[in-house]
Amino acid sequence: MSGTLEELKRAIVEGDDDVALDRANDALGEGIDPLEVLNQAIVSGIEEAGRLWNDNRYFLPDVILSAGAFKAALDVVEPHLAEGAGRKSGRIILGVVAGDMHDLGKTIVTAMLAGAGFEVVDLGIDVPVQTLIDKARELEPDILGLGAYMTTTMLLMKDVIEGLNANGLRDKVKVMVGGVPTSQEFADEIGADAWGKDALDAVTKARQLMEVE
Amino acid sequence: MGNGKPPSGLSSRVVVSGVNGALYGWGLHLGKLDGIGRSAAAALGRPDHPPTFAQMHDHAMHVAKAPARRFYYEAPYFVDVMMAVANYYGLDLPLCAGDIYNYEAEAMGAKMIYGEDSMPTIDHADPLIKEPRDLLKLKPPDPLKDGRMPYAVEVVKLAGQRLGFGLGNFCAPFSLACGIRSYPLLIRDMRKNPSFAHDLFTFLVDEVLVPFVRVQKEQAGVKFALGADAWAAFPNLTPEMVEEWVAPYAHRLLDACKPFGVIASAIASADYCEERVDKISNEMIIKCFQAFAKVTGVPIAFIGMGRGQDWDLTAVRDYAWNSKIKWYGRAPIIAGINARFLRDSSVEEIAELVKRYIDVMGRRGRFFIFLANIPADTPPDHVHAAISAVRTYGRYPIADDLDQIEFKMPQRESFEEYASKTGALSATA
Repeated sequence: MSGTLEELKRAIVEGDDDVALDRANDALGEGIDPLEVLNQAIVSGIEEAGRLWNDNRYFLPDVILSAGAFKAALDVVEPHLAEGAGRKSGRIILGVVAGDMHDLGKTIVTAMLAGAGFEVVDLGIDVPVQTLIDKARELEPDILGLGAYMTTTMLLMKDVIEGLNANGLRDKVKVMVGGVPTSQEFADEIGADAWGKDALDAVTKARQLMEVE
Repeated sequence: MGNGKPPSGLSSRVVVSGVNGALYGWGLHLGKLDGIGRSAAAALGRPDHPPTFAQMHDHAMHVAKAPARRFYYEAPYFVDVMMAVANYYGLDLPLCAGDIYNYEAEAMGAKMIYGEDSMPTIDHADPLIKEPRDLLKLKPPDPLKDGRMPYAVEVVKLAGQRLGFGLGNFCAPFSLACGIRSYPLLIRDMRKNPSFAHDLFTFLVDEVLVPFVRVQKEQAGVKFALGADAWAAFPNLTPEMVEEWVAPYAHRLLDACKPFGVIASAIASADYCEERVDKISNEMIIKCFQAFAKVTGVPIAFIGMGRGQDWDLTAVRDYAWNSKIKWYGRAPIIAGINARFLRDSSVEEIAELVKRYIDVMGRRGRFFIFLANIPADTPPDHVHAAISAVRTYGRYPIADDLDQIEFKMPQRESFEEYASKTGALSATA
């Protein structure tokens, strides 16, 4: 790997968005294939940050900054990728279901997904079931993300999925759920496509749903 | 602002209870303990059983079927409901703290979301300070006029009159900065634009929080004010970041309030809130305790909002028993029962956790049980179970083998029946 790519990867791991942006431009200026820049430095960098998070060596601020550096570099490289050759992250709309005012987790997930290159539409907290369905129809997202903090409100996630079914939208959108009381078992039970156990896992699952390398 | 004079310091009732409790804690048992006395005894030694207290405003509103539009806006009603629910459960320290993360931000103009059945909440997706230059446009709020700050001051005053001592509250600087800047942007500021971050914290302390605490002193007679700081919890911040960014502004606030006679202390900074059980680590727990001590100036083994049920409790105990506070001695333990654990577990599981807490951490006294932010939809039986378990297993001296003691779930009336029987809400209902 070239020195520039190494520096780019390091900037992403260390969460320095300014350096990541400069090194991404340098790499393209040196004539390195954009796909190589993407895979060897940008994706590799954010994956390294994820490993450090899982090993308890990185903490949330580190991950947030790495995600920001990842996005800065991606914004430089993505326009240069051949059609279909690069990673197209996709559009996600997400919200905390009605009756639930807990914003912290959703805020962090939003930042992480945006940092990972997704177009994120944040519908906020306390979002009624019908609004989620209407927005899924109107904005045609690839993924609908649903959050809940309470065992009572999380039951509304099932209503959302049933509403998508009833409105003929279920086949057009993947549904991902998250939040403290949720689990993989719960996601399976209500027919969601994925469960994110934390913000970083949400990014991983979203990328899997979109079949992003 | 409300009726009646602000309490000046401690009422004579509180002084008598406190002295009785202090003597009890030192081993001189002259009389029965009330909640204040039990807390004083636990602060100094061993009471009759550990005292309990709770953060529970959303839950109290839910249990009392109180409309949010009254509860979070009418101070006398809020205090009545909080006191009634605390007394229903038999809590020793009925704290009357509401949505204390919101008052200052709301008064400065932060966009809020107002629900019909929940507390006002800051809209973090649309922060008040979108760009650093927005800080220059911010006007310090007037605690006597702006937003719900007058309501917050009146709550402190009325609660002080009811309890016999005024306990102020505020949103700690870091959490307030998150409220008006948003957490992800603030984290980036701290790394990439530290001078702006320092300007923001300085503004919040000097222009917002010190005046707010001062008004609580003038209007409600407070001598102590506690600042909630949930955003400064781990892993939102590392313990090192708490020391670098949170402690200096906590001290700045403390120093600025001392001259007018208030000890204003941030609490829950560095609270260990790791959610993934596979990542919970004794090393990080201790680091968080040490960072907490840097913020408050005293070591306290504090299980706050984290998953205490999954911690190695001997690490908590050993930290407290090996930490010394000047003129005071061994550090106390505040053992929080996790909010979701309390809501989602069976009464047997709750009683079992209380038993384990007492068995491992409570034997030498200086031990408090804290019901950590009871969720709105927690069945009241779960709270009764926790408090009853404290009284069942926590009788000093603690039995050698707590497994030999049978826990019986108390049969209790509903809150509605209790309120009707006692007239607890008759003044404001």
